[in-house]
Amino acid sequence: MARTPHIAVIGGGSTGIGIARDLAMRGLDVTLVEQGNLTHGTTGRMHGLLHSGGRYAVADQASATECIEENRVLRDIATHCVEMTGGLFVKRPEDSEEYFQKKLDGCKECGIPAEVISGEEARAMEPHLAKDVEKAITVPDGAIDPFRLVVANAASAEEHGARIETHSKVTDLIIEGGEVVGLEVDHASGSGKRVHGTEGGTEEIRADYVINATGAWAGRIGDMADVDIAVRPSKGVMTIMNIRQVDTVINRCKPKGDADIVVPHETTAILGTTDEEVEDPEDYPEEGWEVDKMIDTLKELVPMLEEARTIRSFWGVRPLYEPPDVGSDDPTDITRDYFLLDHDERDDLQGMTSIVGGKFTTYRMMGEEISDHVCAKFDIDAECRTADEPLPGSEDFSVLRDYMDEFGLRSPIGRRSVERLGSRADEVLKTSDPNPTVCGCEGVTRAEVQDAIEQSGSDLNAVRIRTRASMGNCQGGFCCSRLASELHGEYSEDIAREAWDELLQERWKGQRHALWGEQLSQAALNYALHSTTQNRDNDPADGNPVDFAAFDSGVSAGEAPRTADVAADGGRRDGD
Amino acid sequence: MSDAQSPTDFDPVEPNTGHDFEPVDVFPDSNDFDLRPGADSCFKCSVCDTNCPVAEVDDDFPGPKFQGPEQWRLKQTDDDYEIDDSVMSCSNCMRCDNACPSGVPLSQMHNTARGEYVEEQMSKTDIEYWRNRILSNYRLSASIASKVPRLSTWAMNFGPARWLMEKTMGVTKERDFPDFAPQTFREWWAERGGADASRRNAQQRREELGLDRNADRKVAYFHGCYSNYNTVGVAKAMVRVYEHYGYEVVAPEQKCSGTPMFANGMLDDARRHAEVNVSSMSDLVDQGYDAIASCTSCSMALRQEYPELFDIDGIEKVSSNTFEAVEYLRIHEDVKADVQAAEVSGELAEEFAYHAPCHARNQGLERQSVELFRDLDGAGIEDVGESCSGISGTYGWKEEKYEKSMDIGEEMFEHMEHADGEVGMTECPTCAMQMEHGTGYEIRHPLELLEAAIVN
Repeated sequence: MARTPHIAVIGGGSTGIGIARDLAMRGLDVTLVEQGNLTHGTTGRMHGLLHSGGRYAVADQASATECIEENRVLRDIATHCVEMTGGLFVKRPEDSEEYFQKKLDGCKECGIPAEVISGEEARAMEPHLAKDVEKAITVPDGAIDPFRLVVANAASAEEHGARIETHSKVTDLIIEGGEVVGLEVDHASGSGKRVHGTEGGTEEIRADYVINATGAWAGRIGDMADVDIAVRPSKGVMTIMNIRQVDTVINRCKPKGDADIVVPHETTAILGTTDEEVEDPEDYPEEGWEVDKMIDTLKELVPMLEEARTIRSFWGVRPLYEPPDVGSDDPTDITRDYFLLDHDERDDLQGMTSIVGGKFTTYRMMGEEISDHVCAKFDIDAECRTADEPLPGSEDFSVLRDYMDEFGLRSPIGRRSVERLGSRADEVLKTSDPNPTVCGCEGVTRAEVQDAIEQSGSDLNAVRIRTRASMGNCQGGFCCSRLASELHGEYSEDIAREAWDELLQERWKGQRHALWGEQLSQAALNYALHSTTQNRDNDPADGNPVDFAAFDSGVSAGEAPRTADVAADGGRRDGD
Repeated sequence: MSDAQSPTDFDPVEPNTGHDFEPVDVFPDSNDFDLRPGADSCFKCSVCDTNCPVAEVDDDFPGPKFQGPEQWRLKQTDDDYEIDDSVMSCSNCMRCDNACPSGVPLSQMHNTARGEYVEEQMSKTDIEYWRNRILSNYRLSASIASKVPRLSTWAMNFGPARWLMEKTMGVTKERDFPDFAPQTFREWWAERGGADASRRNAQQRREELGLDRNADRKVAYFHGCYSNYNTVGVAKAMVRVYEHYGYEVVAPEQKCSGTPMFANGMLDDARRHAEVNVSSMSDLVDQGYDAIASCTSCSMALRQEYPELFDIDGIEKVSSNTFEAVEYLRIHEDVKADVQAAEVSGELAEEFAYHAPCHARNQGLERQSVELFRDLDGAGIEDVGESCSGISGTYGWKEEKYEKSMDIGEEMFEHMEHADGEVGMTECPTCAMQMEHGTGYEIRHPLELLEAAIVN
């Protein structure tokens, strides 16, 4: 081999990042570009289910078998991203007995460990399950944090020499002599870590091969080279509950249907979902009835959901694909399998392959297959190691520690921090500096926030997905300003303001669909804090540098106040 | 609507614990309540923290917002999720319950977490565990001590013994143990002829008052431990005042209300006592009695903590038929007019510095004594403000908490000094200890003044 081939991967979701890690571990040069943050697209908008395969065990056994294989792999290599909650397929009286049997047989045929338990046993596991649930099948479903998983994959890829560029949008493909030879990229804020206010610019990235792993956006990249990739994006809504009503994944044991799953996720539970085809993965209606319908349907499984607090809803777009000759009408009929489209074979366009379809749970397997494909092109004989080498953070570790003695943290805060950081806990949390809690809802301390800022620059949304700060029940009402303050020192005041506003916007976005009941009270309080106390609706200082030197350091203790007749509230000291 | 009117359709926020949630069906012992849903009501405003008297003086105490909704939300039901040990610094004053504008079940969260901490994380061979257990089982110590009341009073305040208790057990030597009464209330009650005598007295009074001789006026007295073994005068006053209004009193079998046990996470002890109390009180409620307590923490326990923490047959019924002694009379009788018409002289003709206990505040009773006695001839009453006395039952008896307890009490002591009189008044026995300890004043109970004003 003359020289190491350079591969450009487009898309910083689970698929792209999995490919980047795999190729980098096999010794190839890799550059990955992502238009937003890591997980900006569909990956950041999924319900966090680590499939056991049970959901596909009747209709799509090939997918089910892949799922259980990858389920086992991820439990091994991504321990700090996975919580093995276990899962249940529950049967209500009106659900078909025949289908229940099919599900059970299907699981067994696919090698998914499954057992039947009675309604009482199911309620002993999950007290809030509906009383008329008759029975259930247990399966090894789990919860997985997509953000943490992608960030850990990116860190591993970088350790193996890959270059990861976020906030870098591909504006065109460079095609020479019928072959894709590179990308034209628009960096929002220069290359490297994102820092607000850094001047952006365009870059031409030459590559020996290009992989289009842009999921629902694959068609757009295809258009740049006049190849037709008919992804059929389908939207689904997910609603985040304030607390975990269940600690086990609850699936309804029914053939395909909307609103049939509750996934416990960190401190919350995520309800999912719906399935409706859309034209444009970036512009589709988000409608209130979708949320209502989901809560209404899922309360049949967990009645308390009807009254429970919702903190947020979000929509994701599945990158479904089916070969053009199938022609399904209903998006729920479209296969969840993935397809590797080699544009040389398909469209006589050399130098690029697209990967479409597929599921989050099988991201690593997809990465392995496409990496094999690329290596074959360059006659490289390198073995895939992604199934054996743990991700950074998932090397051997235990969450059971003495949090107060070791890190000076209160028990539940220490516990959550170590769960998030995995084997990186010592490196991040052992600090001699003061380490106050920055986000009380999720138990995130300054040390963890600073670690995230070190990784991702001034982008507070990137800090958010790394730490979960601002993702709890006040949705950033109390901690957004604190997070912005954490930028101080490294970054200037105007950068902190811009990053702060961007985080506030992102936090408000998802709450629009939760404005009733308790979350409405929360939003009212947040609005008061943000717009009045913090002036975020119209800050006279925005855009104008503040002359901090003009402030004195206040009155020190014991010193007589200079304006003795005016109290801090503007009233007089000697009375009201 | 004018300010004087109040809206009728006010619907206070109820914490969402699920419609058909039946803890007895799923948990083998119901100390294992999952209170995560209570966190749904919290919008993090921190008003609970600003009202917490412990957080104000103890920088290591993270405050009720963390102890309650945040800790519960961060916790999971797996056994290896531990409760933070700071929950043992909460004094269980329950002010956070009242402070919360959104109905978060804070004290229920603290009590449950503390119970779980003591049960699962605290070493049962630890001296702190036994110190707390002995303190919270005051009834047991008092029942033994009152066999030889004078000797006990002397021995419990004998300097070298107290020094030893502080060094070995961590019970502060700074405080004086209360005197044990030569005769307990129950001994006096039996000697007096018990319920039969009370019925006769009540019937006679009903005739004097022009009421039906057999009118349905009967109450079951929950005297608690302190007015049985120590301030027997309070219990006697309760009986005489109630009989004066034609109520017949019974003093059913009863144990500790559980208040000190909740505060120390001894939920098994508390449950054992609660089972006796609920069983005897619910039988009487069925027969038309209301349960009356003269200690505001006892009435608090029966009303709020019992149904929040335990599932015992009849517990809701007892909870909704329990009243504080003065509260009950103010509901059913025109005590105010009687007090206005009366005059006191002698021992209780004093200016009283009145402190409302935190647990009285939680029941909405913080103004009742001032409202009742301010027009009483011969005596005066002044509210010393809304601060916590700081002792919170057993909290201020712990060697490591003593200083903090006195820091919390400082504001009350100052206000008592500023008040006109040199006699204090409160409904709560341990607040009374703290008031006396901080100022040297003698402390009386509102029932004693009420007796002096209207009986005889």
